[in-house]
Amino acid sequence: MTVRLGFDDVRRLLPQSYPFVLVDVIEEWERNSRIVCRKNVTGNEWMIPGHFPAQAIYPGVLLIEGMAQSAILLFRLDRTKPDDADSSFMIAGVKARFLRPVVPGDQIRYECTVIKMVSTGGVVEATAQVDGEIAAKADLTFAVQS
Amino acid sequence: MNEQELRSQLKSIVAEIIEMENFGDDESFVTDLGVDSMMALEIVARIEKTYRIRIPEEYLPEVKSLNDVTRIVAQVMQPVNG
Repeated sequence: MTVRLGFDDVRRLLPQSYPFVLVDVIEEWERNSRIVCRKNVTGNEWMIPGHFPAQAIYPGVLLIEGMAQSAILLFRLDRTKPDDADSSFMIAGVKARFLRPVVPGDQIRYECTVIKMVSTGGVVEATAQVDGEIAAKADLTFAVQS
Repeated sequence: MNEQELRSQLKSIVAEIIEMENFGDDESFVTDLGVDSMMALEIVARIEKTYRIRIPEEYLPEVKSLNDVTRIVAQVMQPVNG
């Protein structure tokens, strides 16, 4: 299902705050199934001056975090009980592959597909794509504590 | 597929996830092999994908050894095969 949830919705749903909100918008969401999020990378972000001083590359570890935040957004949208807002999320396992660098000017499309989701955590398959090309992919396992 | 074949396939799946090959059918995942609840979830997710079955969340706390995994999977597959 195509949805359009903007940055204010994203930061309301995520437990993280600046400078660690690494998703801009939610574009698609299918309950208990998948989510598509987007992030625009600019040269004016906090991590770019240090990574690296002479060659700007969006860090791969932040691509993982973007995929994980997409998974949190999927979990949060799927569950709407008021006490769910206090849940905390912890990554328990990551199996990742990086296929091409992401640089300022790129638009990252995070797609997260549920493999197994339960009340205490989940296993998802995720990709980070730029211009239809996979920049990174990962299997993520995360735990949820209420 | 008989139970022995199923057990052998399941052992390979479990071994790959817990990154350990030598463990007994009745060894406790938690106390003997260091498996936590999220690894148990990964095991269940992989089994579901491999056999195209759905293991309900209620079974998760019962995933304590290879014997338990074999019993649960056999139980869940029963209506499909039988």
